[in-house]
Amino acid sequence: MKQTPDYDRVQERMKPGVITHFGFLGSDDRKLIDIILDDEITVRKLGLTHKKIADRLQYFYDKAEHAPGSWVVVDDSFSVFVDDTRGYLPCPFEHPGLFPKVNVTVVNRKTDEKITYSVLSIHLIREHGFYQGKGSPFRLEPRDIKRILEL
Amino acid sequence: MSALIVTLLSLSGITTLLAVLLVLADRIINNYGEVEVNINEGKKKLKVKGGSPLLFILAENKIFVPSACGGRGSCGMCKVKVLSDVGPILPTEEPYLSPDEKKEGVRLSCQVKAKKDISIELPEWLFAVSKFKAVVERITELTYDIRELRLRLLDPLSIEFKAGQYVQLIIPPYDQVKESVMRAYSISSPPSQKDAIELIIRKVPGGIATTYIFEHMKEGEEIEFVGPFGEFYLRPTSARVIAIAGGSGMAPIKSIIMDMYEKGIEREIYFFFGARSKADLFYLDFYDELQKKYPYLHFIPALSDPKPEDEWEGEVGLVTDVAEKYLKSLPPSDQEGYLCGSPGMINACVKLLTRYGISEDRIYYDKFA
Repeated sequence: MKQTPDYDRVQERMKPGVITHFGFLGSDDRKLIDIILDDEITVRKLGLTHKKIADRLQYFYDKAEHAPGSWVVVDDSFSVFVDDTRGYLPCPFEHPGLFPKVNVTVVNRKTDEKITYSVLSIHLIREHGFYQGKGSPFRLEPRDIKRILEL
Repeated sequence: MSALIVTLLSLSGITTLLAVLLVLADRIINNYGEVEVNINEGKKKLKVKGGSPLLFILAENKIFVPSACGGRGSCGMCKVKVLSDVGPILPTEEPYLSPDEKKEGVRLSCQVKAKKDISIELPEWLFAVSKFKAVVERITELTYDIRELRLRLLDPLSIEFKAGQYVQLIIPPYDQVKESVMRAYSISSPPSQKDAIELIIRKVPGGIATTYIFEHMKEGEEIEFVGPFGEFYLRPTSARVIAIAGGSGMAPIKSIIMDMYEKGIEREIYFFFGARSKADLFYLDFYDELQKKYPYLHFIPALSDPKPEDEWEGEVGLVTDVAEKYLKSLPPSDQEGYLCGSPGMINACVKLLTRYGISEDRIYYDKFA
């Protein structure tokens, strides 16, 4: 699909060294629009929506936000660790507002599998359907989210 | 054939002519000439070339309005009160302005362009903000992911600030980072040290600024910063100080405590410092010594997840839970809250302190980016 100039500009902002040191695209050389569309198809095949996924990610953050730096057991099945530092990041899509530099790690206690995401990632999924490029340190595979977070 | 060439040449000529007309129109329409920026009812008047965003005009004239996003309109920090008509609020400003701010004429200075004479109001403290050149005199590893930087000033040679305020460090381009970026860090040294400042910085995985500070910065190199900024400083009351911090949030509280000690301020201070395990703690010896010299200070480090090898005999639990234990048992007194940490920690602390009778307007913290 042809990418609009607006998305070209967003993709530029996603490169390493613009907003974060590693950027949002990893080693993925696809156009941003293709990254988003491919994930959109995967999410639909999984019977999910971006909103459902974002809500689930937000749920664990909300449960452990009060205890940064400590493991919090959620619903007996998950351990959640919120690692936060001072400061904020802007959305590469230039959405208004800033997002705290917070990373959330959720461990499924039954399988010992874990997933780590940022608060900005929740916004990127909810508002833009963007799970980051392949190879990005914060890339979230929709299949992994579904399995580990029991969606 | 010749007709085709003539047609093509004609089309090219028309296109070129249109392009020239567009350039000329742009120069005429967007030429605002010289405009005046009147600050604080004539206290300062700037004659500038019109058309640029107010944020940049002010910075070029050494008035540094805080901005975390460098003028992209995404942080909402660069608010100024505009007294003259500069047109309606832009959609890019709308999300950042409260109804009261809109009524008062507050605008984002990165979005407002000075196309004609303009009157604005700035807080007085902003005039004390300067750009400094400094040399990285010393880098001290405080923990595995926290560093202390000591920056000795080169130009100007001294700085005036209130304990608790912050500066914006200018990180130069490096590796794939093509443009310099600014990041805010609280000063940890006391204001009595005027020829240098100290900062406490925690490494953020993937952070542009901290990757530079931890992997590229060397002692002896020159660096620039802008400051001081911030409304986080000790209020001149006699209230007991309840300070809560974690990680690099130690910085402004340390500056405030050092300042109180040096000035001989006789106010009780309970400083709760949260960390995960002993490996995340620092300055323990410093506070042990200071408590001996300054009996008003009570430093209470708390570990949320101590390791067996830590042989920790101090407080265990979330810093908010430990603080609550003390708040329950402290004799009633007028109290103020001073917080420094992540938004999550701040939220939890505000909830705690308000439960113990400290009203929100007496709980102080910085929301810097």
